[in-house]
Amino acid sequence: MSAVLSSTASRPPRGGFDARRFLVRYGLFFLLVALVVAFSWMRPSFASAANINDILRTASISAIMFLGLTWIIAAGEIDVSFMSVAALGTMIVAGLIQTGAGWPLASAVAVFFGLVFGCLNGLLVAVMRLPALVITIATGGLAGSIAAAIGKGTSIPFNSVGFVGIVLNANVDIVPVLAILVIALYGLALVLQDRTTFGHYIYAMEQNREAVVEAGVPASRLLFLLYGLSGVLSAVAGVFLAADLSSGQPYIGASYFIDGLTAVLLGGMALKMGKPNVIGTLVGVLLLASLLSGAALLGWTDSQRQIVRAALLITGVALVVWTRRKTRAQL
Amino acid sequence: MKTLAKNPIYLRILAFVVLLAVVAAIFQSLTPAYLSSNNIHALLRHMAVQGLAALGLTFVIVVRQFDLSFPGVASLGAMTLGWLIASNFGVGAGIAGAVAVGLACGLVNGIAVSYLRLPDIVATIATGGLAIGLSYFYSNGTSISKNFFKSGILDLNDAKYFGLDAPVAILALTAAIAALILHGSRFGRAFYATGENRVSAVYSGIRVKAYVLAAFAICGALSCLAITLLVASSGAANVTAGSQLLMPAYAAVYLGAALFGAASVPATIAGTLLMSAMLNGFTLMAVPYFYSDAIVSTVLIVAIAAFDPKVSAALKRLRPARSPKALASTSLREVRS
Repeated sequence: MSAVLSSTASRPPRGGFDARRFLVRYGLFFLLVALVVAFSWMRPSFASAANINDILRTASISAIMFLGLTWIIAAGEIDVSFMSVAALGTMIVAGLIQTGAGWPLASAVAVFFGLVFGCLNGLLVAVMRLPALVITIATGGLAGSIAAAIGKGTSIPFNSVGFVGIVLNANVDIVPVLAILVIALYGLALVLQDRTTFGHYIYAMEQNREAVVEAGVPASRLLFLLYGLSGVLSAVAGVFLAADLSSGQPYIGASYFIDGLTAVLLGGMALKMGKPNVIGTLVGVLLLASLLSGAALLGWTDSQRQIVRAALLITGVALVVWTRRKTRAQL
Repeated sequence: MKTLAKNPIYLRILAFVVLLAVVAAIFQSLTPAYLSSNNIHALLRHMAVQGLAALGLTFVIVVRQFDLSFPGVASLGAMTLGWLIASNFGVGAGIAGAVAVGLACGLVNGIAVSYLRLPDIVATIATGGLAIGLSYFYSNGTSISKNFFKSGILDLNDAKYFGLDAPVAILALTAAIAALILHGSRFGRAFYATGENRVSAVYSGIRVKAYVLAAFAICGALSCLAITLLVASSGAANVTAGSQLLMPAYAAVYLGAALFGAASVPATIAGTLLMSAMLNGFTLMAVPYFYSDAIVSTVLIVAIAAFDPKVSAALKRLRPARSPKALASTSLREVRS
């Protein structure tokens, strides 16, 4: 049933040092370090306090958006509506601020609509067992369309960034407060993922959903929860994004689409050999944010960066598949 | 599910015609211009673009894979076409170049998915991203319309073949060929067998990898043919041209599959016709363009949900209990079938 990566039994541990496994498992960390060192060497301003602060802030917003997605892909399903829900979040905030509502109300409404779309996905995919990819393409289209309709097809700028802006722009030394909050969130997620049955069930569902159901686990309810979580977190990221950009952007989703899948799937390589996990996603997000900033400093065009990103995604997936290949059926 | 699947085909055709008539009647009553000959021509032209992309996707869906790259591939095809025409290579070379690019991208997808065994969704998202990135190289992302008027590409939209508008004729011809392959030859059976049960297809001597490869290649090539018609009607090639193909194509294939029980060429054409009839109607009523995605996605969700066997089974359980006699007779019928 896995929509993204076909399930495989992990290879039994062998004695000795397996260079290929080691490379896949820790390669992403080395890549991140290498990229940061290379960019700082070529453009010393990359390592300046202001730039690091900027990278961490961008990465934090993406990290919030991709947490739910990480677990959905880990559970063997897919969600391609997350970026449109985030775009809808920015537009709801912008639309309400424009009509004079306060930030607390605006963000609450945005998060509520994130929850609505998350639950809609959950209802259709988890409870009614409809095909996840096509359904989330459709719900994503719906969210994007509503986002565009709020602004009549254009973006909505606003001036006050309210309490969200205060949180967003607060710093402890050079680390944004938002990054600290995200680290706390991911720490909590790590505990949930690796130390609770909730986390074990997620990975078990990817391996064999029927077996999980037979074992008495309410798999549908679990998956519903994951989609709901993804919707809410995407909308929260949208609220921060709106404050960061001081506007609502109906078409901002497109740029987060490949980023999200790249971060989750590349991150899945790290530590767990192809199974998406929260630490991997965090590293993936940092990698992409560094790439964005470094590419801007080096003067790459958007299309060059897009090509690098897509190449990174396909290389990562190929690496995962090829290291796990020996256990795959030869069809 | 059983009873639905056993319905004779003419009942399904009747259902489709009734649905189409209802849509047409509603829009005709709202905007009198809807059934005018001019508008029908416009509707069918719009349908030609969507239909070609959806036809290609049908092959991929039949082998039970997903292709998310064709919008990006189509953009690359559009820019290739624009660049070839702007460089005075002529319309023929332009169209051939665009379709060749689509075919090449489709082959890359097919090789990645079937021979390198990469997961289809992620691999095609990545190749689609690559294609969009590459499409910027022709003109740094600006749209190309140089030489378009002189070269005669615009005639592709206005010419008439066999009494039909050229785009409609191209769609009809392509659909006929696709139907011949998919429903009138052993290749078609092999496509369906590959999708239905890959393992047993392998043991039946079908080269499943080659068929998956072929499905992706057809999808790539047809999406570029579709974009050629779109470029011909809009008069310019730009890098976002393909992005409007993704959802309507999926909606058409799934709507058709829902109406006719399985993805097939006539089903896709029927699905496209319904989608185009609706979208054209809303355009005529001056509904702003940004609502069209909402309409398409709502139709898509409703189509998938309404015709899903699990959902109809669940709905049956919701019905009030019948008398024991009726229940016995239905269960008897079920046993017999």
